Amino acid sequence: MRDEMERRWKAQNWQLIAPTPRAPAENLALDEVLTQRVGSGERKPTLRFWGWSRQAVILGRFQSVRNEINADVAAEHGIDVVRRISGGGAMFVEPDGAITYSIYVPDDFVQGMSFADSYEMFDHWVIDALGELGVNAWYQPLNDITSDAGKIGGAAQARRGGAVLHHTTMAYQMTTSLLGQVLRVGEEKLSDKGIRSAERRVGPLRNQTALERDDIIYHLIGHFRSRFGLADDSLTDDELAEMRRLVETQFSTRAWTYFLP
Amino acid sequence: MHGEFKVPKGKLVVVDLEVDGDALRDVRLTGDFFLYPDEALEPLTASLEGASAGEEEATYEQLISEAVPEGAELLGFSPRAIAVAVVRAQRQGATEVTDA
Repeated sequence: MRDEMERRWKAQNWQLIAPTPRAPAENLALDEVLTQRVGSGERKPTLRFWGWSRQAVILGRFQSVRNEINADVAAEHGIDVVRRISGGGAMFVEPDGAITYSIYVPDDFVQGMSFADSYEMFDHWVIDALGELGVNAWYQPLNDITSDAGKIGGAAQARRGGAVLHHTTMAYQMTTSLLGQVLRVGEEKLSDKGIRSAERRVGPLRNQTALERDDIIYHLIGHFRSRFGLADDSLTDDELAEMRRLVETQFSTRAWTYFLP
Repeated sequence: MHGEFKVPKGKLVVVDLEVDGDALRDVRLTGDFFLYPDEALEPLTASLEGASAGEEEATYEQLISEAVPEGAELLGFSPRAIAVAVVRAQRQGATEVTDA
């Protein structure tokens, strides 16, 4: 199984989109654009690191806005509230607070594999790369990356048009106490997780590595490149135009964000 | 009315609904689950709209199961988990709480 996974990673002609700070809605729109284009064959399999231009709460595809966030607090602090195309839970991100990447690949990459197994496969290289930085991390089903020092991050997937999008966000540092004010976490959600404080234990990568955020990102890129091959690439004018169109027509609209109020 | 169920080692399922006479109305299914394809949310929710209020969990579970589109995948939750949240939502506000 391990050899087969390695073979599938190496068989792709991976392209890198390096991080550029973007508005939250632009990052979400790019996931839609690049997934479609990898599915149609217009773009090769791609690894994209996200850059954040400002704070945002990003809701999962099927979450209710009012169950998950305190909209008043978000508005008061000028925090964007946006909805992504993948399921999973809400996250609060700040420009230097998180490391996020997306992987776009044709769906034959996960052929014969359960959804649950595919989550593990997509993040396996990151766990190895973090190990090289002295972070003892592991995959925790269904979609978490955790470590000796607490939870590091979570992943989500969307599938459409012959391609899989897998994106992962990892905590780098917690600079404000806004998280607890903006996101609502009910008792029921924690009911199978033991004591509340344990669930809230997070192990941001800055605490665990003492490295700058960019240094960690470039370590992850270097690990991926030497292991599977990775060519430098950039977004085309056409992809950027499509991104802007989708921001306008979908990702910045109330109809999309509040489709489950 | 509002009911939640966190699947052990899985995801959170949230159901909001109204009871109109003896029927469920304005049913909304949300949560941090994964569902493929996206469009499968609509038939799952629709299967509960107009269903009899006050039924057992197993009755709702069957309604929901029959509405899962062919080829759809529910990850981190199940028809049973949705049914638990439906029953919990209706129990909200009841004078006697008989939690199983």
